[in-house]
Amino acid sequence: MKILVCLKQVPHKDARLELAGDGSWIQDANIKFEINDYDNYALEEALRQKDKDAASEVVVLSIGPDRVQQSLRTALGMGADRAIQIWDDGLAKADSLAIAKTIAAVAKAESCDLVLMGLMSDDTNFAVTGPMLAELLGVPHATGIVSAKLDGGQVEVERELEGGALEVVKLPLPCLLSVQTGMNEVRYASLKGIMQAKKKPLDKKSLGDVGLEAAAVAPKVRIEKIYSPPKGGGAEILTGSKDDIANKFVGKVKELGLL
Amino acid sequence: MAKTLIVGEIQKGGLREATLELVTLARKLGGEITSLVVGSGVLALAEQLAKKGGGRVLVADDASLANYTSDGHARAIRRAIDTEKPDLVLISNTPSGWDVAGKVAAALDCGIATDVVRIEQDGSDLVFVRRMFNAKFDARLRVSGSPRIATVQPGASEAYTGSEAGSVVELDGVGGDSRTKFVEVRVAPAGGHDLTKAEIIVSGGRGLQKPENFDAVLKPLVEALGAQMGASRPVVDAGWLPHEYQVGSSGQVVSPKLYVAVGISGAIQHLVGMKSSNFIVAINKDPDAPIFEVADVGIVGDLFEIVPALAAAVKSAKGG
Ligand SMILES: Cc1cc2nc3c(=O)[nH]c(=O)nc-3n(C[C@H](O)[C@H](O)[C@H](O)COP(=O)(O)OP(=O)(O)OC[C@H]3O[C@@H](n4cnc5c(N)ncnc54)[C@H](O)[C@@H]3O)c2cc1C
Ligand SMILES: Nc1ncnc2c1ncn2[C@@H]1O[C@H](COP(=O)(O)O)[C@@H](O)[C@H]1O
Repeated sequence: MKILVCLKQVPHKDARLELAGDGSWIQDANIKFEINDYDNYALEEALRQKDKDAASEVVVLSIGPDRVQQSLRTALGMGADRAIQIWDDGLAKADSLAIAKTIAAVAKAESCDLVLMGLMSDDTNFAVTGPMLAELLGVPHATGIVSAKLDGGQVEVERELEGGALEVVKLPLPCLLSVQTGMNEVRYASLKGIMQAKKKPLDKKSLGDVGLEAAAVAPKVRIEKIYSPPKGGGAEILTGSKDDIANKFVGKVKELGLL
Repeated sequence: MAKTLIVGEIQKGGLREATLELVTLARKLGGEITSLVVGSGVLALAEQLAKKGGGRVLVADDASLANYTSDGHARAIRRAIDTEKPDLVLISNTPSGWDVAGKVAAALDCGIATDVVRIEQDGSDLVFVRRMFNAKFDARLRVSGSPRIATVQPGASEAYTGSEAGSVVELDGVGGDSRTKFVEVRVAPAGGHDLTKAEIIVSGGRGLQKPENFDAVLKPLVEALGAQMGASRPVVDAGWLPHEYQVGSSGQVVSPKLYVAVGISGAIQHLVGMKSSNFIVAINKDPDAPIFEVADVGIVGDLFEIVPALAAAVKSAKGG
């Protein structure tokens, strides 16, 4: 079984985000990056399949500049077999459909049994690449899964709905699954894994290498501007020393009749 | 706006409130409105939507559409787009909406803006406003080509309450096979930790850093206030607390008299679960955290200093 896992590199959860000069993105020059949280769970799910069936191959793919190689190495250290980085200046302003088309070009060439990805990326929060990619590959999909049971040529998954409800669906392979956080317990790369990862293949490809022209990935969606949300009424901020704040808090609770 | 297609959603046998929110949004943009209702035996719901502002309502009614499947619903939506040729397609950003919308966009090679909270008209163009970075920033998107698809955040508009004269048209050619097979919907058994009846809830988020801190730091405040403990999703994902503590769109929806959010940033999926609380206090070290926008009272600072001080002050106010 061959599994492709799509990993996006996003700003670290604790990075201080500042807007870039032209207002269309954040300043990304001096911040830390990490693998998108949702994608870690997708990778773990693939690695568990490999744990069960050593003949399985796990290929990780990331579209992004050279900094994503570090995330790909981490994934190799966790147990993935092979990594593919795709980058091209033509992808700098790529929209979700362009990303999906680029991944599709690779996935078709690799002919995978299963594509695993995150439900949503923590930077753009688009949550749309998975269903797009499935359509381009001509395979069925399910989004936001919290469990998957492989059984011969099909997989039974639980999709998370609202309020704790789960929808159970069955899909034939090959298929695409987008993963919700909390699906499993994500492993860490062992020291041995990290050493081995240095020898595993990491291929860097351009758009041309995957058979796409720049025109094929011209974006239809453009981020015109990002900005700090306008401050509305907002909260009354309690100020003063720690004790002042605590006393004011007690005052509020008393006003509510709860003390 | 020349023509908008609203994709309706059926929930528990009725029209979902979010569908009527799309009606409000479409009417604000002006132009012609046409809607789609997908299911089995849903003619009456289509008629209902027609009377509630859905305009000309297409109904894709087929036994194979009884339960949501991405193949079945994508086929119906594409059929509706084919016959109506809308300029804009609105879909609610719900578990079925986000499952199908991207599939349709890729099939038609058209642009999509997801989880939109507002659509502004700018001359002949549209600007799609949405959150990014888990609500830390707002973004304005431009989408080229036609049709444009937008998935819309439930609750972003008021539901339309007017009554109108609409019409219903049956769509043919909407039945067929689906590769994904619906099996069932499982509802999690109610846990022992019911937050919906709590008067006071103190919830901890990823800012608490370690599972031990829920006992060491949060619990003294919970006990001093006589509150129940809640949590954000990452806390539950990491296994620090069971799922029945989770507040939010995929956890419990609560509205206590007092909700204290500790080390929680305020992503929309958390806010959905607690924003209708009577009084909200947020404690966060980041003065720009989106949680402060829904809070009544905010405390900007290190929770590891603030929370023990609050617990001590509440205790002494109680005379203990
Ligand atoms: C389909 C879907 C469903 C979801 N359902 C839910 C749901 O039901 N409930 C839910 O909560 N989320 C849900 N989420 C996840 C949601 O998008 C957010 O990821 C999540 O709410 C973030 O949790 P958090 O605020 O605890 O963590 P973070 O966003 O990481 O925020 C941590 C906060 O702690 C603050 N902090 C850190 N250290 C300190 C300190 N020492 N003192 C004070 N403050 C500090 C930081 O400034 C930050 O604001 C869902 C997401 C999706 C896509
Ligand atoms: N640049 C990228 N490289 C690899 N995978 C990506 C990229 N962008 C998005 N993805 C995948 O698509 C998922 C959903 O992302 P999005 O639709 O942008 O929210 C992510 O969790 C990743 O698995």
